[in-house]
This record gives sequence, structure tokens and C-alpha cells, in this order.
Amino acid sequence: MLLEVKNLQTHLRAGGETVKAVDDVSFHIERGETFCLVGESGSGKSVSALSVIQLLPRDISSHPGGEIWFEDRQPDGRIERVDMLRLSEERRRQIRGSRISMIFQEPMTSLNPVFTVGDQIVEALRLHRPEMGDAEARERAVAALAQVQIPKPEERFHEFPHRLSGGQRQRVMIAMAMACEPDLLIADEPTTALDVTVQAEILRLMRELQEKNGMGILFITHDFGVVAQMARRLAVMQLGKIVETGEVKKVLTEPQHPYTRQLIDALPENLRKRRASTVIESVAAVHPPRIAEAPLVELNDVRIHFPVRKGLMRRVVDHVRAVDGVTLSIPQGQVLALVGESGCGKTTLGRGILRLQDITSGSVRFEGEDITTLSPREMRPFRRRMQIIFQDPASSLNPRMTVAGALTEPMAVHGIGESLEERLHLAQQVLDQVQLPADSLWRYPHEFSGGQRQRIGIARALVLNPSFIVCDEVTSALDVSVQAEILQILLALKAERGLTLLFITHNIGVVEYLADTMAVMYQGRVVEYGPTEQVSNRPRDDYTRKLLAAVPRLDLVA
Amino acid sequence: MTESLATTKPASLAPRRSYSAQVLREVFLRWGARVGLAWILVLVGVSVFAPFIATSHPLLLSEGGRLSSPVLRHLTPADVTILAVFLAAVAVLFWRVAFRKRLAVVLGVLALSATLSYSLITPPSLVIFEQYREAEAAGQYDWVWRAPIPYSPKDYLRDFGDTGLEAPLESAERRHWLGTEENGADVLSRMIHASRIALAIGFIATGIALGIGVIIGGLMGYFSGIVDIIGMRLVEIFEAIPTLFLLLTFVAFFGRSLYMMMIIIGITSWSGYARYVRAEFLKLRQQDYVQAAIACGLPLRSILFRHMLPNGAAPILVAASFGVASAILAEATLSFLGLGLVDDPSWGQMLNQAVQSSTFNWWMAAFPGGAIFLTVFAYNLVGESLRDALDPHLKKNA
Repeated sequence: MLLEVKNLQTHLRAGGETVKAVDDVSFHIERGETFCLVGESGSGKSVSALSVIQLLPRDISSHPGGEIWFEDRQPDGRIERVDMLRLSEERRRQIRGSRISMIFQEPMTSLNPVFTVGDQIVEALRLHRPEMGDAEARERAVAALAQVQIPKPEERFHEFPHRLSGGQRQRVMIAMAMACEPDLLIADEPTTALDVTVQAEILRLMRELQEKNGMGILFITHDFGVVAQMARRLAVMQLGKIVETGEVKKVLTEPQHPYTRQLIDALPENLRKRRASTVIESVAAVHPPRIAEAPLVELNDVRIHFPVRKGLMRRVVDHVRAVDGVTLSIPQGQVLALVGESGCGKTTLGRGILRLQDITSGSVRFEGEDITTLSPREMRPFRRRMQIIFQDPASSLNPRMTVAGALTEPMAVHGIGESLEERLHLAQQVLDQVQLPADSLWRYPHEFSGGQRQRIGIARALVLNPSFIVCDEVTSALDVSVQAEILQILLALKAERGLTLLFITHNIGVVEYLADTMAVMYQGRVVEYGPTEQVSNRPRDDYTRKLLAAVPRLDLVA
Repeated sequence: MTESLATTKPASLAPRRSYSAQVLREVFLRWGARVGLAWILVLVGVSVFAPFIATSHPLLLSEGGRLSSPVLRHLTPADVTILAVFLAAVAVLFWRVAFRKRLAVVLGVLALSATLSYSLITPPSLVIFEQYREAEAAGQYDWVWRAPIPYSPKDYLRDFGDTGLEAPLESAERRHWLGTEENGADVLSRMIHASRIALAIGFIATGIALGIGVIIGGLMGYFSGIVDIIGMRLVEIFEAIPTLFLLLTFVAFFGRSLYMMMIIIGITSWSGYARYVRAEFLKLRQQDYVQAAIACGLPLRSILFRHMLPNGAAPILVAASFGVASAILAEATLSFLGLGLVDDPSWGQMLNQAVQSSTFNWWMAAFPGGAIFLTVFAYNLVGESLRDALDPHLKKNA
């Protein structure tokens, strides 16, 4: 056994109170094996990993109990079993980085921006292999870069981190972690911040490296699709405890614990199966297909360009073509999903439709009226009928305003409700619809969890009784079970109020669950557009095919 | 990683307090803020009740069985207005309604009391400070209740003959805790009355600067583009004006006036606030909740002042507390140069007297200088605590 964690307890102190972040957790990892810790945010999976490598700040953390046995391979090849919790700080530092390495979630911030990537790898090497010479360390660093399949490693060695893309930075992080040939690699959500196609490449790379070096991997993730691709065994964590552990295939197909079942049921693809079996008939009966109806929103060759200015006179030397000629129409009462990877212009397009972003050329028609060049004053009657819900529930609500204030102010401006009492009553009704408790009205946003804040965001969009809502990645900052709740609320509201939604997302599972039609965007253009069923099952475009193939899915194990 | 740490605490346990209440609590956990604020509160109290604390007029006296209060007869309209506003502010403090309503009440009391007192109250224009002392010595009164410091700031003690500079507690017959100045007036009394000028100039000059700075900076930050370019040039023009020399010029042309001083300090120091507000608004403009406010079709006034300003106010408040300190210093500098108010006491003017005569009069330097130092220091302490409480990076290390 490479790593054996026995009854680990980790307590964290925060502001005078102690939180049992990890409570009696046991698992083991063999050499050459990948073990997954799965759980929602706050379940203690990251804290478990940080306890193994002993990276938690000493002044706020303590381990009242438990053992972490690690097989420490000495330079002379001897193997010694040590308890990480009872080692001296000196020994721990020797093990950290050379025998156990870690890669983090955010590749944008985990590299030091003022050193070249080569220097950072060399530094790690020199620290753990003091006998190694300069030239040798450099050679090893270049080899490590080559190992993670970075093209032209000799040249990339001298690049600064900002010159690399997110995926390449994560490769550099892996190269750094692998440079000392560790026996155990801890990967804390290594692909969460990456696009699906990049994620697929990084996951493949990690599998290949593991085969080559035979190291153990402790893989932390919240994504069951990734688990299905990476691991043979997994443990599901909830509130600091492991609730279920076993073979991936078995746990995913026949979950024993109710929490595991709940998590797996909350996945969009499983939601869809349930909806397909129960809801489809009734929905189809109530809403006959209305393709012939006039579209609510029509985009005609919309372009949004950002000027690139250079030099002393700020001359415009070039344009970033964020949206480059998009023609779409969204029929009344339908959900159009706009899919694409980061930087493809989908968010810019969503803001352009609402005139939150000026459109360079082309036209946007709402209910047949051209709103492209309206002044803010002329825009106001339209504002009431088109709304937006944002991605990040933390930043989409004004922290200095109560929920009541955030909901009633737009109503007052648009003359909805006669008095404050009436508006408060209306706000209360909308809060009911998004399933928030009645006392939420007088609270401030920081008193709510992420999922609750997202519901307030939905409520704010609904108070004006709009007919069209842009949902900009509304679930990507949320846990799966919360995501499932939000999606169900949106679907119910759509049916109830006959809403038309533009659903911007990168999550294909959500699209298949929710959308009637989907449009795939790539580099500012729509490359494929059609009914969801058709696009996701029989994609015609090469990029769509590549994107769909990269999505990690549960059925790979089945 | 940090996210999971933060969310282990259930959201329902979070206290139901507004952000500003939290910040205030943070500020007052710090010793610097407590000390600074205590000193400022002492100054406020002293300056409001100055006519009762330091005056030559007895607070209450009985003459042949008839009670009278000369101090009330000699109250100026300004004294009455300040008292009324102070009482209204204290009353409103315990009134649990929105801040805007409280502010409206205080401002209403200010307007009302000012008009009433200036039209109704006419204190005697000829003030004879020594009349009560002489009458008391002649045994005309049954009993007299005097103020803690029984000398008015402009009472030059004519009845004691040729008075002049006197060190603290030097004279046996009169008790001057902090000595007397060159005309023979009590230094402590003058300092107490001068605290009004120090406070007023700090608050009003900074208030004017804040008002101008927030509006110009807010428009620059929100609209950016051409508005920003024009606004920044305006900022640069105003930054190029040396406040002190402008004040000297104005004093030379238009004579000495406290209000002119406040206005000039105000309209030359707004540029710093405008820069802060602009930077904050440039950042906030891209925030989702501001975009949501635009998408809801809210009017510009609401977007700027309800959604953006409260979230960008932190650095401005910090800058303002330092600004109050520097306005006090500017006034002290002018008075020290002999360009301040002619007759009314001011800390800077008293400092000036310390070096004017041939000998160095330490008490004229130490006490007013100490008061200036303490006040500026207090504002800086409050400003620093405010900055620490509002800065998430510093808080993490604390």
C-alpha cells in the first residue's frame, strides 16, 4: 500500500469555532492506482488531500486523531513506512514535492507570473535534488516539459506563464509536479477550470504518465463523468465523512448510500432520463410544436468587435472579433442553448442581445422591432421584457441591498404595483416560485448559500414579468444537486409563464436536458444550429463532433 | 480549497447584519479607532458646549433674590444653532429609521434653528466681561454659579490692569490652567472655542471636496471614454493649483473669512476623491449586479448612487478621514502665517503667538500644537482602522 489513511480527523478553527472538516476518514491507495475522492463543495475532500501532504496552516488546523502512513522511498531505494502526522517538519518538507506532489485547480494563479516556467521547474528540482548540477536540472526540466507534451519544450522553457494558455499552464504544473518523479500525485480538481476539450487532453495525459511512471494518484473532483474516466476505486464524501467507497463501476451503477444515489440522480443526463419517461408526453400534449410561430428574438449578422489600440496615439490597429456574424432566431416559448468553449463569444453575444454591450454591426429584433440603435430612454420599455441571469451568484447581487430592495426597485421604476406593500407582496410571490423561504426578503445576499443566491438572481429577473431571459452559465458555479434544483425551477417557470430562454453554457449535459434547439459557437461564429436531439446525436460539423466527444460521460464505464 | 473551508460553516449561522454594521464592528475592535474616535467625540462635546464651559459670564446668579443667567443672554445665534443641531443629532441616533430619514431630520432642524435664531436672538453688541466680577467683588449678588473656566476667549482681563503673557498657574489671584496669551486672554478658553473652527473646517471643507469628487469621479468612471478624458484633464488642472498660494491670494483680495477658507480648501482638494471614485467605478461597472441594474432599466441616478457608490465608498471614506486632518492643518498653517481670522481664536494663530514675542513662550506652543497634533492623529487613526477593516488582504493576515 502506497498510502494508507486511517481514521483521519482534521479540525479547522475559524473565528473562535471549530469545524470538523474531516471526520474519521479512512482510505488507501496502491502504487500505480488512481483513487477518486468525490463530493460537493464543503464536503472536506480538499482538506483531506491537504492533510495528507500536510499543507494546512498549523495555526488554524489540528489533527485530534488518525494516521497517514506513506511508503517513503529513500534515495538508496530502501522503503520506509512513515506517519505523515508524526514526522518532523524537516522530513515532511523532503517528502513534499519530491515523493508527494500536488497540482491545483486554478492554473492561472498557481504559477508565479514573474519567473519563466523553466526556472520554476528547475527551482523545484534543485530544492529536492541538491546534488544535481545546473545543466542537468535544465535538461531534466526540458524533459519534463516534453513529457507533458508541450510542443517545442526548448523554447517554452523561457516563456513566462502569461504567454501560455490555461491548458498549457496546467501541463506545466503537472510537469513541475512530475519533475522529481513522485510516488504519489495529489490532483485537486485539476481540470475544473478548463474547457472540455482541454480537459479531455489533460486527463489522457495524466493516464499516460501514470502508466509510464507507475505512481499513485489521489484525484479530487466533483464530476462523476471525470471519475468514470480516471479511476478504478472511489470514495464519496459528505460533510467530512466518507459515506460510500468501492469500485467505480459498482458505485455508479448501483449506489448503496442515499446521498450517492441523490448525487448521481442529480446529473443532467439522469434528470433527462427521468423527464423523458414521465414528462414528455404531457408537455407534448399541452404545448403542440409551434415552430411556425414568429420568432421572439431575431439576430441578423450580428458582429461585436473590440478595437485593439496600440502606441502613443491609441490608434486602432486591429479588432478582436468576439462575435463575428451571427444569424439566429429564437422562437417564442422555446429554449435555445448557446454552447461553446471559453472565449468563443457566447457571453458577449448574450449581452449584445440585451444591449448591455454595443453591437458593431448587424441587427437585433425583439418582437419584430429593431432595438439595435435605440437610446437608453427608448430601450427602457424593452428592458422590462428581456432580462438576464448571471453565472456567478456571488457577484450578481448588490451586497449592500436587501433582497426586498433588489426586487422592488425595478418594479417601482417600471410602474409595477401601486404601493410598496403591493410590490413587497409581489416579490414574496416570486420568491415562493423560486422556492425560497418567506423570511428571505429582509436579508442581505451574504446570508445565503450559492444556490439560494442564484434563486434570488432568478427572482430578480422574474419580478418584471419578462418574456425573454438570457441565462448566462447560470449553473456552472453550483454543485450538481443544486444545479439540478435550479434547472428544474427554470423548466417549471418556463412552462408556467411561457418564457423564452437563451441558455448560454458549456455543459453539454445541461443542454441535452433543457434545450429545444442548440447552437454551437466557435471563434465568434455559429458553426452548427438545429434541434438539440439532432445536433447532439448526429453532429455534422467537425468542431461539434470534437466537443461532444470530449465530454466525460458516465456510460463509458457501463 | 479555500472555498470548501468557507462553506463548511452553514450559511444559516451567518449573523444577520448589514455590511456597514459589520464594518463598523470591525473598526471598533481596533484600539486605534477607539482612541481616535474618543478624542474626536471629546472635541465635538467641548465645541458644542464651549459657551457654557469657558465663559466670563456666570451660568446662574441670584441678585437680591432674583435669578438670572447672563450666559444665556450672551448666546450668539450660531451657538444656539449648533446646540439645536447637536441635540437633534443625538435624539435621532436612538431613532430606528432609515439613515436618509435621520439625515433629513437633522438638516431640517439645522435650517429651522438657523433662521429662527438669526432672526430672533440679538445678543448685546457691547460685551463687558468684567462687569460680573466687579459686581461680585462689590457684593451685589447673593450667590454666583460660574463656568468651570470662568474666562471668555476674548476676555482680556482689563479689570486686572495691564495683563499680558503669563505662564500656567503663575498668577496667585487668578487661575489660568494653561496660562494667558499676549493680550491676557485665557489660553484654555481660547483653545476650547478654537476647537469649533478646527472641527468645522475639517468637516465642511472635506464635505465640499467629497461632494464634487464623487459626482465628477462617478461620471468619469461610469461613462469612461470621452467623459473620462475631459474629467481627468479637469482633475489635472485642479491638482496643479497650489492650495496655499490660492488661499493667500484670496485672503489678500477679499479679506479674511472662515467660510471662504472652507470653500477654497474644498474646491481645491476634490481631485484625489475623484480619482478614487473613478477607479472604483471603472471596476464596479463590469460587476454583474451593475449590469443587472442596467438590464432592469433602472435610472442612471439609482445605478450610480444606490448600486455603485455604496460598494465603492470604502476607499473614499478612508481618504476622507485623512482629508479632514489635512484641512485642519491647512487652516492652522494659514493662521500661523497670520492670515487666518483676526479676532476669533484658532489653534494655528495661537502657535503664531508662541514665536512672536522676543521670548519663547512654551505654553503657547505646547498646548495648541498638542491639540492640532492629537486631532490630526485621531483622524489618521480612524482612517487607518477603517482602511484595515475594509481591506480584505490585510484582514487575512490579521
